[in-house]
Amino acid sequence: MQRTFRWLAVIAIVLGVALPVIPQIIWSLAHRWLFPALLPTEWSMSSWEYVFSPSSRVVEGFMNSLEIAVFVCILSILVGLPAARAIALNDFKGKGIIEWLLMVPIIVPGIVSTLGIHQLFIRLHLTNTFIGVSLVHLIPCIPYMVLVMVSVFSNYGTELEDTARTLGAGPIRVFLNVTLPGILPGLMVATMFTFLISWGQYITTVLIGGGTIVTLPVVLFPFITGINYSNAAAISLVFVAPAILVLIFTSRQLGQDSAVMGGFGRL
Amino acid sequence: MVFNSKRIKLIFAITLLSILTLVAIGAVMAQDELIGEVPGFASWEEVLAAAEGTTVNWWMWGGSDKINTDVDTDIGQRVQELYGITLNRVPNGAELFVDQVLNEAAAGVEQGAIDLMWINGENFKTLAEADLLYGPWSEFIPNAVYVDWADPALAYDFGYPVNGYESPWGHAQFVMEYNTALVGEEPPTTFEDLTAWIEANPGLFTYPALPDFTGSVFVRHVFYWVAGGPEPFLGEFDQEVFDQYAPAVWEYLNSIEPNLWRGGETYPEATVMDSMLANQEIAFSMGYGPADAANNIAQGIYPDTIRTFVFDTGTISNNNFVAIPFNSPNPAGAMVIANYILSEEFQLKLVDPAKWAWLSPISPAVYSEEFQQAVAGMELHPATLSPTALAAAALPEPNGDWVTAIEAGWIKNVLEN
Amino acid sequence: MNRLKLMEKLRVPMMLFPAIAIIVVLFGGGMISGVGQSVGYFPVIGLNDFTLDYYRDVLTDDGFMTSLWLTFRLAFLSTLFASVLAVAFALVLRHAFRGSRLLTLIYQVPIPIPHLVVATGIVLLVSQSGLLSRGSVALGLTQTPRDFPVMVFDPAGVAIQLTFLWKEVPFIGVVVLAVLKSVGPQYEEIARTLGANSWQRFRYVLFPLMLPGILSTSIIVFAFVFANYEIPLLLGVRHPTTLPVMAFRNYQDPDLALRPQAMAISMILAVVAIILLVAYKRLAKYAVES
Repeated sequence: MQRTFRWLAVIAIVLGVALPVIPQIIWSLAHRWLFPALLPTEWSMSSWEYVFSPSSRVVEGFMNSLEIAVFVCILSILVGLPAARAIALNDFKGKGIIEWLLMVPIIVPGIVSTLGIHQLFIRLHLTNTFIGVSLVHLIPCIPYMVLVMVSVFSNYGTELEDTARTLGAGPIRVFLNVTLPGILPGLMVATMFTFLISWGQYITTVLIGGGTIVTLPVVLFPFITGINYSNAAAISLVFVAPAILVLIFTSRQLGQDSAVMGGFGRL
Repeated sequence: MVFNSKRIKLIFAITLLSILTLVAIGAVMAQDELIGEVPGFASWEEVLAAAEGTTVNWWMWGGSDKINTDVDTDIGQRVQELYGITLNRVPNGAELFVDQVLNEAAAGVEQGAIDLMWINGENFKTLAEADLLYGPWSEFIPNAVYVDWADPALAYDFGYPVNGYESPWGHAQFVMEYNTALVGEEPPTTFEDLTAWIEANPGLFTYPALPDFTGSVFVRHVFYWVAGGPEPFLGEFDQEVFDQYAPAVWEYLNSIEPNLWRGGETYPEATVMDSMLANQEIAFSMGYGPADAANNIAQGIYPDTIRTFVFDTGTISNNNFVAIPFNSPNPAGAMVIANYILSEEFQLKLVDPAKWAWLSPISPAVYSEEFQQAVAGMELHPATLSPTALAAAALPEPNGDWVTAIEAGWIKNVLEN
Repeated sequence: MNRLKLMEKLRVPMMLFPAIAIIVVLFGGGMISGVGQSVGYFPVIGLNDFTLDYYRDVLTDDGFMTSLWLTFRLAFLSTLFASVLAVAFALVLRHAFRGSRLLTLIYQVPIPIPHLVVATGIVLLVSQSGLLSRGSVALGLTQTPRDFPVMVFDPAGVAIQLTFLWKEVPFIGVVVLAVLKSVGPQYEEIARTLGANSWQRFRYVLFPLMLPGILSTSIIVFAFVFANYEIPLLLGVRHPTTLPVMAFRNYQDPDLALRPQAMAISMILAVVAIILLVAYKRLAKYAVES
C-alpha cells in the first residue's frame, strides 16, 4: 500500500516537474517544430548561436544580473540581519507595527509603488546607475530576508555568544566563530531568496536602469511575448540555469531546517 | 490636327524641359548640409562634430532576433565606421518610452536616458501634446530631401501633424496571412467572401483583442468597409459620424462571433495568433509587416504553406518613425542616426528581401539609378506581395482620435457584450 | 556608565534603522505618489485636485464585483489545491528511501524558476497544438488541434492554475516536509501503539503538526496569486479578467488619463488583500490553538 503511494508520488513528481521543462529544452534546439510533429522536423543550433552573439546581449545581461544579484545579497544581509535579530531577540514597543511595515512591499501590488519609486529615484539621481538598480531590487528582498532570519534567530540561543564574550572574544570573532555557524543554514536560504528575487526583476530594472543597465530579464522579456519560441526557450534556459545551481547549494537547508521556512508563518 | 514646326518645337522644348526636371528631381542628391535650423546647432558639421565619439541610446522593441541583429550590423556598425558613434540599442518589451520620458519630465531631469526612440502614433501624440520632444529637426537633416513631406502619410502620424518632430525610416502595410493547406489557393479577398468563409468554416478565424494595434487595425478595415471607404474618418473625430457607422460595425462583428475561434468567447494576442496559424489552430493571421510571413517561413516558425493577401478594397498603411525626447543628452548623435537610416545605402538594405525585407517610406525614384536597378533585380519570396501591388492597395490611417474611440467601442460592444 | 546605558537603549533602533529607512523612504516614498495619483494628484497631466471619483468609478463599475470574485476564486483555488498536493507529497517524502534525496531535489526545482518561464512551458505543453495534443494525435485520439480540450485562454483558467500549482506546491511542500522531518516518527509510533489507524494518525497527529506550516505558507501563496497580473494576462481570457490585470491594462495604456484608475484599483486590491490576510491570520491562530 505504502509502496504503491510512494511509486505514484515518485512518478507524479518527476513527470510533473519535467513536463513543462522538456518542451523548452527541445525548442531551444528546434528549427521547425510544427503541429502535429512530436519532435522537431528540423534541428538547429541557431538559437544558441544567437544567445552567444553580441547582438542578443544575453552574455552581457547575464553578467550584469549576476553582479547586481550578488551585490543585493550583500546589502540585504547587511540591512536585514541586524533588523531580524533585533526583532527576534528583543521585546519593544511598536514591534508589531515594525514587523508589518517590513512586510508591506510583498503585500502591496507592485504597480502602486513602481512609478512613484521611479520618480523618487530620478530626484535622488539614482536612475541609470548600478547602485540605483541594486537599491530598487533590495526593496522586495528585505521582507524575505527578515522573515526567514527572524525565525532563525527566534530559535537561536545567545548563551554561546555570552560565553565566548566572557572568554574574551571580540565582537567580530564572536560573530564569525559563534553566531555565523549557528545561523548559516537559514542565512543560506534567505540569501537564495534574495538572489532569486533580484535575478527575476524586470519592470523595476527597465525603469530605474533606463536602458544603461541591461539585465537578463530585460533581454528575455520581449522574447517571452514574441513568436520565436526557439530563442525564448534558449534564453529562458540561460536564465534558469544559475537559479537551479543556487537551489542545489541550498537544497539541504531548504529540506531539513524547519525553523528556516517557519519564518513565513510570521506574516 | 495640323502641326506646324513652331508648335512642334514648343512641344519638344516642353518635353525636354520636363525630362530634365524629372531627372533633376529624380535623383535628388543629398548635400551634407542642414536644410533649416535645428535647436542647438548651426550647421551639419557642428552636429557631426558633436556626435563623434558619443553613444546613442536607441529605445526600441526587442522581441525579434532578426531586427536586433539587423539593427546592430546594418546601423550600429555603419554609424560607428562612418561617424564614430556607438549605438546602444535598448531592448524593451512593453511601450515604456512614454513612462520613462514623462517621469523624467516630472522630476525635472535635463539629461534623460533616451536619445532616440522608435515610436508609434499614439505615444507620439501623448509626448508631442505634453511638449516633451526635441525639435523641430526631421525636415532639416540632410537626407530629409528624400522625404516627400507633402505626402499626408508622412506629414501626419495617425492624423497628428509630424511638424519636424519625427523622422520616417520604414513603411508598414496591413496584410492578411493564410494557410493554403486550410484555405486553398484562393483566399477570400472581400469582406463578403471572408464572412461566407467564416460561416462555412467555424472556429478557424479570429482577430487580436483590441487595443492591440493589429486587432485595432483589423476593426478599422471593417469601419472602412461599412462606410464604403476611409474618407469619413480622415478628418477630426466626429461623434455623429462615429455613431452613424459604429452600430453596423459592432453588429457585424457580433454576428460573426459565434463562428470565430473559441466561439468568440475570447480573443488572442497578436503573437499568439501567429503561432496558432503556424500550428493549424486557425487559418488566418494578420499584421503590419508584409514580409513577416516570409521571414517566419525562413525561420521555421511558419510552414511553407502560408501566403499573404490584401483586401480588394485595400489595406491600411502607415510609417515607422523615430523621435528624440526633449531631454536627450545627445540629440546630435540621434539626428546623425536618423539621417543615416534615410540614406540610399541603408534603404537599399531595408527593402532587400534577403536582408530587412521591409517597405521603404521613400519613393525609389529619388535615389540613384543603381538603387532602382538593384531594387528591380530583387527577388520576392512567394509569400510576399510585390511593393507595387501593396502600394496600389494602400489606404490611409484614420485620425488617432478615431482609433481611441474604436478601441473603447469594441471593448464595450463586442468584447464585453 | 550613562553612555553605555544610552548605547544599550539605542541598540535595537540602530539595528532596525537601515531596513526601516529603506522601506519607508524608498518604498513609502514611491507609494505616496501612487496613492496621490489614485486620488487625483497627477501634475504631469494637469491633475491637481483631490477627488475620490476614481475610487467611485472603479467600485461602481459593473465588472468590478465579477473581477474581484474571479481574483479571489483564482487565489483561493490555487492555494487550496497547492496545499492539498503539498501535504500529500510531504507524507510520502518524509520517509527516507533509495533516491529520496534526489527526489526531494527534483521536487524543489520549481522554487527558483520564474513564473513567466513556467507559463511559457505550460503553454507549450497543454495548448491545443502543444505537446500533449500532439501526443494525442500520435495515439490516434484526435486529428486536429480543435479536437483537444481547451486549457489555455479558457474561462476556467486551467493553464493559470497549473502554472501556479507547479510553482507553489513545492514552496508549501518544502516547509511542511521540513516540519515533519524535524519532529521525527516518534509521535506517530506512539499513536500506532495506542491503536490509531492510518487515517486517525494523519488526522490527529500529523495534520496538527503540519498545520502551522501550511497556514503560514498558504498566506504567502494567496497574497502572491491575488496580486499577480502576469500569469492571468498571459494565459487567461480577455474578459472577464482579474483585478490586477485590469489595473495593469489601465496602467499600460498610452492614455495617461487611465493611470489614476489603475492606481485606485491597485489600492483597493492592496486593502482587500490586507483585510483577507488579517482575517486569515485570526482564523489560523484560532485553528492552531484549538
